[in-house]
Amino acid sequence: MKPASVEYHKATSIADAVDVLSSTEDEDAKVLAGGQSLVPMLSMRLARPSVLVDINGLTDLDYIRRDGDWLSIGALTRSRAVEKSAAVRDAAPLLSEAMGFVGHATIRNRGTIGGSVAHADPAAEAPAVLCALDAELVITGPAGARTVGANDFFHGFLTTAVGPDEMLTEIRVPVLPAGTGCAVEELARRHGDFAMVAVFAAVTVGDDGRCTDARLALAGTNPTPVRAREAEAVLVGSGLTAETIAQAAQAAAGVTNSANDIHAPAEYRRDMASVLTRRALRRAASDANVVV
Amino acid sequence: MASKVTVTVTVNGRTLSAECEPRRTLADFLRQTLGFTGVHLGCEHGVCGACTIVFNGATARSCCMLAVQADGAEITTVHGLADGETLHPMQEAFWDNHGLQCGFCTPGMLLRACELVEEFPDPTEEQIREGISGNICRCTGYQFIVDAIRDGAQRMRQTS
Amino acid sequence: MAEQRTASGPIGARIRRTEDPRLLAGQARYLDDIRLPGMLEGAVLRSPYPHARILRIDVSRARELPGVFDVITGAEVRELAAPQPVIWQQIPDQRMPESYALPTDRVRYVGEAVVAVAAVDRYVAEDALELIDIEYEPLPVAATLDEALAEDAPRLYDQWPDNKMGQHTFTRGNVDEAFTQADVVLRETLYYGRQMGLPLETRGCIASWDTYTNQLDLWLSTQGAHVNRDLMGEALRKPVHEIRVRVPDVGGGFGNKLDFYIEEVLASLMSRRTGRPVKIIEDRVESFVANAHSREQRMEVELAATSDGVITGIRGTVWAVLGGRLSGAACGPPWLSAAVMAGPYKVPNVDVSVVGVFTNRSPIGSYRGWGQPEATLVYERLVELLARKLGLDRNEVRRKNFPAPEEFPFPSTVFTYDSGRYAECLDLCLSGVEKNGWKERQAAARAEGRSVGIGYGFHVECTAFGPSRVLNAVGVQHSGFGQSVVRIDSTGRVTVYTGEVPMGQGIQTALAQVCAQSLGVPIEDVTVIAGDTDSCPYMGYGTGGSRAAALGGGAIIRAAEKLKKQIRDIGAHLLETAPEDLVIENGRVAVSGAPARSVSMAEIGNAAYRSVGKLPAGQTPTLEEREVMDPEDLAWAYGCTAVLVEVDRETGAVKVLDHLIAHDCGTVINPMIVEGQIHGGVAQSIGGALLEELVYGEDGQIQTTTFMDYLVPTATDMPPMQALHMETPAVHIPGGIKGVGEAGTIAVPAAIANAVDDALDDLDVTVTAIPITPPRLLAKIRAAQEQQS
Repeated sequence: MKPASVEYHKATSIADAVDVLSSTEDEDAKVLAGGQSLVPMLSMRLARPSVLVDINGLTDLDYIRRDGDWLSIGALTRSRAVEKSAAVRDAAPLLSEAMGFVGHATIRNRGTIGGSVAHADPAAEAPAVLCALDAELVITGPAGARTVGANDFFHGFLTTAVGPDEMLTEIRVPVLPAGTGCAVEELARRHGDFAMVAVFAAVTVGDDGRCTDARLALAGTNPTPVRAREAEAVLVGSGLTAETIAQAAQAAAGVTNSANDIHAPAEYRRDMASVLTRRALRRAASDANVVV
Repeated sequence: MASKVTVTVTVNGRTLSAECEPRRTLADFLRQTLGFTGVHLGCEHGVCGACTIVFNGATARSCCMLAVQADGAEITTVHGLADGETLHPMQEAFWDNHGLQCGFCTPGMLLRACELVEEFPDPTEEQIREGISGNICRCTGYQFIVDAIRDGAQRMRQTS
Repeated sequence: MAEQRTASGPIGARIRRTEDPRLLAGQARYLDDIRLPGMLEGAVLRSPYPHARILRIDVSRARELPGVFDVITGAEVRELAAPQPVIWQQIPDQRMPESYALPTDRVRYVGEAVVAVAAVDRYVAEDALELIDIEYEPLPVAATLDEALAEDAPRLYDQWPDNKMGQHTFTRGNVDEAFTQADVVLRETLYYGRQMGLPLETRGCIASWDTYTNQLDLWLSTQGAHVNRDLMGEALRKPVHEIRVRVPDVGGGFGNKLDFYIEEVLASLMSRRTGRPVKIIEDRVESFVANAHSREQRMEVELAATSDGVITGIRGTVWAVLGGRLSGAACGPPWLSAAVMAGPYKVPNVDVSVVGVFTNRSPIGSYRGWGQPEATLVYERLVELLARKLGLDRNEVRRKNFPAPEEFPFPSTVFTYDSGRYAECLDLCLSGVEKNGWKERQAAARAEGRSVGIGYGFHVECTAFGPSRVLNAVGVQHSGFGQSVVRIDSTGRVTVYTGEVPMGQGIQTALAQVCAQSLGVPIEDVTVIAGDTDSCPYMGYGTGGSRAAALGGGAIIRAAEKLKKQIRDIGAHLLETAPEDLVIENGRVAVSGAPARSVSMAEIGNAAYRSVGKLPAGQTPTLEEREVMDPEDLAWAYGCTAVLVEVDRETGAVKVLDHLIAHDCGTVINPMIVEGQIHGGVAQSIGGALLEELVYGEDGQIQTTTFMDYLVPTATDMPPMQALHMETPAVHIPGGIKGVGEAGTIAVPAAIANAVDDALDDLDVTVTAIPITPPRLLAKIRAAQEQQS
């Protein structure tokens, strides 16, 4: 388990990184951020880039900022920093909670939120929670920056909207409105493992006690993170009752589309999507001060 | 073959410089090139935690980094914990509580334990277990490690 | 703690280990930390096919890669080496495929080594592997037990009519009559999944072959120095005096480093061919295919009993899912499963067979527990199912079938248990459960609607493995005795040389405690040297089978007795008194009742080596004794495990909330080390019960080759653990020492299965497969719920 030969380029700026990414012949340059997934893949020789573009020197991509109704997070921000950030907890508590499920502390020390999102493992927490939050992802390439909604960003297993000559540079998360309750429910074989199934729920409750907005995203159940739109529709406009939550949970199971693997058959994941959705919604409702 | 690069790192307070290929992992560089064999390789894919070091102030897995990335970095390995022949309080606590058997996970476990105690000076059992859940030990069943870290935290509080 | 006695000397003392400071400081020297001048690093190309003919191997491009020193193929191995030795031949007429370190014509499992490379470093060696071109012709695959047993199964070995490796039946009494006359008969098919020891340090070797002296220096991360030297001699057709094996610090063994493997042979041959030392260390991914797997068995069993819960018979078959070739342990662990299927119970009628079956999977070999966790799953499940069926208290059924203390030595089906107080051990466990308030916790949880259960597992454990004649009688082609040398030097300090091999279990400290107590010297004055065939005495087998304390320690006790006679003789001469009047305590030889009249051990040592004129007439200089420990029979430890678990009925997830074991390993040398051994064993078996499984796809491809797929327990998966000690002396071992290395491992899966059933008692669920994964258990729960509604 030793990496194959590879060239190394330490990027001095975003423009410099993009320049190298767009100049390799086979479009096989790889951005090296925290390296928590990429370096093991190099060691197993499952990834064979000709050049690594190390962006760890781009400290201008390491920030968490609140701009009015938006929270902006630089792609190089370490997962640990996102997890511990008061600004994140204030603006998007669902994101704080989700980051606590990402690997283990030492992995979060080094791993970056941008790296996790760009790697696009369908069982990872960061991609799914950003879908739940309707985040926007800023991609920078030779033609400059463009923004893609999180729900359009993930194209398939380990594939995203980021082109071979582009890199993810910023994550923008709309601040959750007041009256929103959040919860993450994850079923993993062990604490810190990738999810068998994880559900990220945010429900906003109006003054009349009705649900005005609901976001439900699932990880581990599909080739990409997925929103359970039908389940959300069940809730919006209704009260958060045991019945509506059960209906939503059942609807959530309908979006799953996974293959059998060593940890679980597909139908198990489908069933768990329902169980965890119910649990997540109950906790989220309680977080929004609704007694179910 | 990619041309070699020169990497300069400060390990346990001593600045060292050596050449290597860009593909060489930081773990191999520390172990083989610089001789810090207390950095252990248990999986080389970022799961077991045996290769844990302190990298610029935070624990990191040296198997998940390339040596070239460490140029200019400050690193602490397990060798940097003891003060000469005097063991660090956390090392003493591991010894007294039988917090190790084969010793292979121990360097990573110790460094992670010290970082954990920085965050939680008086950690609960749950904080300890969660805090070391990224470090696999195949010998102890963790109970005496948990005891050792609680004891080590107390010793560290007393000495600081 | 039960029977906790105040240790009057080093034996029984809870002292911290002498091994630890260097391990803590990062100063240990594991195999990969050793770098010899000019050393090359090897890598092994492994089969991507579960079953295929090798049509062509082209290594020319690999040989040309700069930095590559050697590339070796099966054809070249055949010229230089003999077939790999298999010492476990306990199944009469077992089929013995001749296999060399590398195959020439056929591969039979994914990961089977095909070509090896030695290069300037591992990076280049792996580059070279990518340049090797092999043409395979894939063959039909027997990926599972059923596929291998099918009438039209693809055969792994053309010379035999089927895939059976061998079969053996253990019988006692008249089992047919027992079943005919039984009030109740239970039938179960239990499956134990494929698992492995997986020490955190992977297995490796360094071979340095001096072609001028013919001396082969080996550094092995192994559990058996001498046995590996012997087997290496066999494999290389080399006299063993030309081979030295040294064992550096070993980062865990668990049986995975007990068997004899092929990479050590390949490194030796490549060293011979290149004139350079060669290191081969398996990486983690390789470790999942190149190391012995274990456990995988299907056990079809029946139990006969009376209506009041007396077991009258057991019969069944252990189907052992062997791999594509034989490891050195062959079908050993499943054989032991069948042999101890009656467990701690008096079963007058037995008919249990073991059938070994070749499949296209990695070979089966040693792992802590060695067939006993599987057997325990059977007898401890059956005893609880019997109680459930009869409406009796499960522990009363256990108690009813135990041999009484006065019935020992107790002849079980195959082995004779030397000593035991089983009912007391059960009581101790039950009192611990009561004291810890588990029943109240269970009741409180159930009141909240949570599913919490308590399960028990009573096990017997074969320890002090093993008496050579017993080993030979059951077909092991090797001895099993222990041996230690105890030397007092010219300064009166003591050095113990043992054949046992340390692997992290704390054997240096434990043996130092035994020696200090036996000789009457401070433990600080004792050094234990191990892991070197040139300086340490020969030992049969390797350090496995919970033996090091008993056989290594037993030999020390006897050697110390002999040394003490010499010390007394010398002391008596120096003090002008009679030897019988002397006591040896704390490093001084003193006249009994007159401690002022004494000499130090340093003075004794000085007389024995330097001031020889001070020795009594006829006393030979030096102070050293060598003792072989080849006991008449094994020592049988035992224990009663209890676990408290919670089942999530909606997900099938199981969490172990608490653990307790009452156990008896004879004399406890160091309670802290004993508890550490138990804790570690419990962790491996909680992993085994809930998380760990080597999974093969239908195509015969292994799907678990990383720590992301094969799940070993982390700190958050483990409950608190408690061990309650009993001490019933071993009969055949000096000092009464039994073994404890496997005690924590054996009963936990059975206890967890029993606890899960208990947690779901309203559903009448019966767990039959290990590991109990969430999808498997949820399917059981759903099926039971459907049946009820």
